[in-house]
Amino acid sequence: MSDELNINKKRKNQIKTKSSAASGRGETDIDYVRPAELPEQDLYHGHSFITKWIFCQDAKVIGVQYTLTAVFTGVVGLILSWMMRMQLGFPDLFPFLTAETYYQMVTMHGMIMVVYLLTALFLGGFGNYLIPLMVGARDMVFPYVNMISFWMFFVAVVVLMASFFVPGGPTGSGWTLYPPQAILEGTPGSGYGILLMLISLSLFVIGFTMGGLNYVITILQARTRGMSLMRMPLTIWGIFTATVLALLAFPALLVSSIMMTLDKVLETSFFMPTIIKAGEALSYDGGSPILFQHLFWFFGHPEVYIVALPAFGIVSDLISVHSRKNIFGYRMMVWAIVGIGALSFFVWAHHMYVSGMSPWFGFFFATTTLIIAVPTALKVYNWILTLWRGNIRINTVMLFCLGFIVTFVNGGITGIFLGNVAVDVPLSDTYFVIAHFHMVMGIAPLMVIFGAIYHWFPLVTGRLMDEKLGKWHFWVTFLGAYSIYFPMHYLGFIGVPRRYFEMYDSPYMTSAVGMNEFISVAAFIVGAAQFIFFYNLVKSLRLGKPAGKNPWKANSLEWLTPDVPPTHGNWGEKLPVVHRWAYDYGVPGAKEDYIPQTTAPSEVKDAEVEKT
Amino acid sequence: MSDLNLDKLPGGFKGMSEDIGSDQTTFKGVNWGKAMMWIFLLSDTFVFSCFLVAYMKVRASVVEPWPYPSEVFALEMMGVPVPLLLIAIMTFVLITSSGTMALAVKYGYEKNRKMCGWFVLLTAIGGLTFVGMQAFEWSKLIFHDGVRPWANPFGAEQFGAFFFMITGFHGTHVSIGVIFLFIFARKVFRGDFDTGRRGYFTTMKSDYVAIEILGLYWHFVDLVWVFIFAFFYLW
Amino acid sequence: MFTGLLFLAVIIGSIVFHIWTPWWWTDIASNWSAMDDTIILSFWIGGGVFILVCLFMVYCIFRYQYKEGRRSEYKPEDKKLEKGLTWLTTIGVVALLAPGLVVWNNYIRVPDNAIQVEVMAWQWGWKYRLPGQDGKLGASNNRIISDDNPYGLNIDDPNGKDDVFVESNELHLLKDRPVKILLRSIDVLHNFYVPQFRSKMDAVPGTITYYWFEPNKNGEYEVLCAEYCGVAHYAMRGKVVVEDEESYNKWLLEQETFSSFTAKNRNNKLNKKKFVKINNLSSNKNSILKEQDVR
Ligand code: HEM
Ligand SMILES: [Cu+2]
Ligand SMILES: [Cu+2]
Repeated sequence: MSDELNINKKRKNQIKTKSSAASGRGETDIDYVRPAELPEQDLYHGHSFITKWIFCQDAKVIGVQYTLTAVFTGVVGLILSWMMRMQLGFPDLFPFLTAETYYQMVTMHGMIMVVYLLTALFLGGFGNYLIPLMVGARDMVFPYVNMISFWMFFVAVVVLMASFFVPGGPTGSGWTLYPPQAILEGTPGSGYGILLMLISLSLFVIGFTMGGLNYVITILQARTRGMSLMRMPLTIWGIFTATVLALLAFPALLVSSIMMTLDKVLETSFFMPTIIKAGEALSYDGGSPILFQHLFWFFGHPEVYIVALPAFGIVSDLISVHSRKNIFGYRMMVWAIVGIGALSFFVWAHHMYVSGMSPWFGFFFATTTLIIAVPTALKVYNWILTLWRGNIRINTVMLFCLGFIVTFVNGGITGIFLGNVAVDVPLSDTYFVIAHFHMVMGIAPLMVIFGAIYHWFPLVTGRLMDEKLGKWHFWVTFLGAYSIYFPMHYLGFIGVPRRYFEMYDSPYMTSAVGMNEFISVAAFIVGAAQFIFFYNLVKSLRLGKPAGKNPWKANSLEWLTPDVPPTHGNWGEKLPVVHRWAYDYGVPGAKEDYIPQTTAPSEVKDAEVEKT
Repeated sequence: MSDLNLDKLPGGFKGMSEDIGSDQTTFKGVNWGKAMMWIFLLSDTFVFSCFLVAYMKVRASVVEPWPYPSEVFALEMMGVPVPLLLIAIMTFVLITSSGTMALAVKYGYEKNRKMCGWFVLLTAIGGLTFVGMQAFEWSKLIFHDGVRPWANPFGAEQFGAFFFMITGFHGTHVSIGVIFLFIFARKVFRGDFDTGRRGYFTTMKSDYVAIEILGLYWHFVDLVWVFIFAFFYLW
Repeated sequence: MFTGLLFLAVIIGSIVFHIWTPWWWTDIASNWSAMDDTIILSFWIGGGVFILVCLFMVYCIFRYQYKEGRRSEYKPEDKKLEKGLTWLTTIGVVALLAPGLVVWNNYIRVPDNAIQVEVMAWQWGWKYRLPGQDGKLGASNNRIISDDNPYGLNIDDPNGKDDVFVESNELHLLKDRPVKILLRSIDVLHNFYVPQFRSKMDAVPGTITYYWFEPNKNGEYEVLCAEYCGVAHYAMRGKVVVEDEESYNKWLLEQETFSSFTAKNRNNKLNKKKFVKINNLSSNKNSILKEQDVR
């Protein structure tokens, strides 16, 4: 069956080769690749320290800059989560933790983790570093704009952090920033705090748009010879689709930020209805709070996939490389990524089942939401089917991939609970939701990020990270995080609402005191384990084993640069020419168990390659 | 752009699927900058759509009566209020500037430095006129009619809020366009696009395709205005 | 080996925890047991998938651990397997979705014999309004809320005259009688949530939202605010008492009606000269208009 398909495919390829070889060359040449369409890219080479390392136009340096900045914000988010857990587990320990500070921490933690850590890290960090390398370009197509993109992001982070120091402190409106509460007294930081948050988000969107245009055009228009879309590694597919989502979803965030800023500063009433405070009506009238929620979640749901899709892509590649096996069902994986991306624009109101919107929307959005579950589940099957009959290296990278599968499946399934509108009614706005999204978009993508860092660290620095420390890091993080969030679902069943500063003495909540203490302790341990990781990073940077070229025996282009780590311009004299997809592992008949993308068919004549 | 046998590629639907299946570029022969502008405009379309959808939603649900645009936007001519007079002129000017922009692009293709430069300049002046008239309209609404973003004498207060926000956002787009048009007019006259002089910031070579890219942006801004016009002044 | 065992332990631990957990939902006290049932169904299907996927993963870890010189299978695609899995998943999803939609359909359709109860949320507390003898709530508007008219009732609406004001955070409900909760808020978003009733909905200022349930167990229940509403969100509690007709009627008689409230207030007013400025927007507007007049 598949052999037949295979022959058909080969025949088609031959036909294509003929037609595109109209110029007369390569009719018999099995190594034929269309000639270059584009001239060499013109690059600016920095000379001074400043143009080489600070205002640098090299996507790889920008990627590292993005990564470091994002990780810095992540550490801030982590510390905030520690303090929150301190309050929830041991409420009497720190009297200076007031409700105000608690809500400010919740808000900053949520926003930092979702936007400034995960989005920036996956797209700005991994995107910048990997896209040009993996598609065989010398750099992003607009290096200057790319550089500005990072500095915009940097300013956005500075503005965000500045809000910790303004009068009133950062906003405490919850990361969803729901008006009217977000800009009214009664919510901490409703003065400067929320304003800085909105400004920072707007800057982020502008900066991201600059970067995002680069990623998209580089992938669409600057691939190297032979690199067709269906030969791209799934990492690139994930980042590409996520970037397109971001370019179409961030506008809603920008618009809602602008409108809320006006509501705050000029007292317009976009989102503000009549409000009675202390017996008097404020000057607002006639606005619609639910409109904000629609705008926010029109951004917010795709945002979830902006984080998830690059993770999907990266983890596919990691699993494939380290189980020495082609990714199972590549085409299905690509279509699933694209399909999930497209569908993600039609599910946003599943966050609003009990928001008071027209209840009839419930039917539509529950249906679309559960439809998304199908391609998502298929991706999971394909990951485990890639492991199946593989030759699995159980190293740190693979461990993180396995951890990803467990946490992602767990969180995905609780997502089906919440997407199924009637089930969401008792569970929404409880700790079940907190547990769900931490599992699926907190821990699972973090697993991928760690795996990816262990995987690509040798490429970036030329040295391997310490495996032993890596394994410790994995087990403490994975087991710890799992034991934080798995039991937490049950708090939600009890009915404990989220964003509660203190549980108080409700009869059915007192039973959860023990669990809260346990969760807090686990959170401290998990947080502390990250310092193993940082130590490993710093140590390996100087003392790690030299990695040499292509330490993992991978196929994709980033490992095939003439210099390791790759230098500015990536490819030295000549751009690589691609002859196959990135997953030719364990091909029967081939000498090695992997065939890099640049290997021409004539070099591996005996290999029985199926897909090219 | 050095395109290899681009004309020989098959056209139509077959050509499209082949392009997508091929290596190197998905949109054959499309310059990077141009592709970028298209994607950016797509994103920007979403921005304006969000604004307009929010406007429609609020206008549909607000309780207080919505002001009559033909009254609010009337201009008094010799004692008779003529509805939409100013807007008609503004729209006319902006659409005309799209025409001059198209001519500029045409002459850019022909590498006709002089004509291209003049038409870019003319477009810039058209845009500037538009912004000027918008400033006049705003000041009339604010100082004469007492419309504020937070209140107005005609009815629902969201009217002023949305009006200032959306036309302001569009006006900002026009203003940015005008600034670039002036810069580019200077570049054209100086001959940057003929000599391929390198950009001050980007250090990249200049090319006449930049005029076309700017043209795309300008036409987009124009198109958005048509929608704003329809939603604010005619609805 | 070690790796596989630990992952296995995680799976088994999850199952064991689920079975033996001392933390589980509170005894249900309303008609929404169907919601619990859909959750249980989701647990069976979803939990099954979770366990199967993870066990398969663990199997692969044991079976296909790296061996020098071994080649993995080379099989990029398997159309039949992929198709089969797609269908299986689709069936599972439909099996979850269909009952969910049915329950939702019941949730948004209020039975005709439901008693209307208005829940009015504010920062940070609850109060309530019940229809009087006529069974109808009078029309209301937040804009005209004042000391004289704490619920912003339309004075001209005869339905409102006999409305019962419950100006405390304690609400009494009749057992076995469906209630339609009509939610109002005078400031920000809130959410009237009693875990034992399973149901909830946001209160949104500017509109009236609703949901319904039928309390079927006598007792006192705690109301929790389930939509973040500012610093005292966590402290915004209330109380619902479900009881039989007799005690319910007794409680009802103790409450004030709109007319008795107004009458009492009118007397007070003679002593208190207090004007509540409700609408500084309209004064704002006036000033703009005046500017024009001057010119
Ligand atoms: C081990 C690490 C983490 C711990 C201990 C932690 C802990 C917490 C806690 C205690 C809350 C507040 C719950 C409440 O009061 O309602 C919270 C909220 C939240 N967390 Fe985390 N978190 C961690 C990592 C992450 C990550 C990686 C993400 C990225 C997606 C994330 C995203 C959020 C979001 C979006 C919220 C909601 C904020 C809000 O309610 O406005 N967290 N987290
Ligand atoms: Cu969502
Ligand atoms: Cu609340």
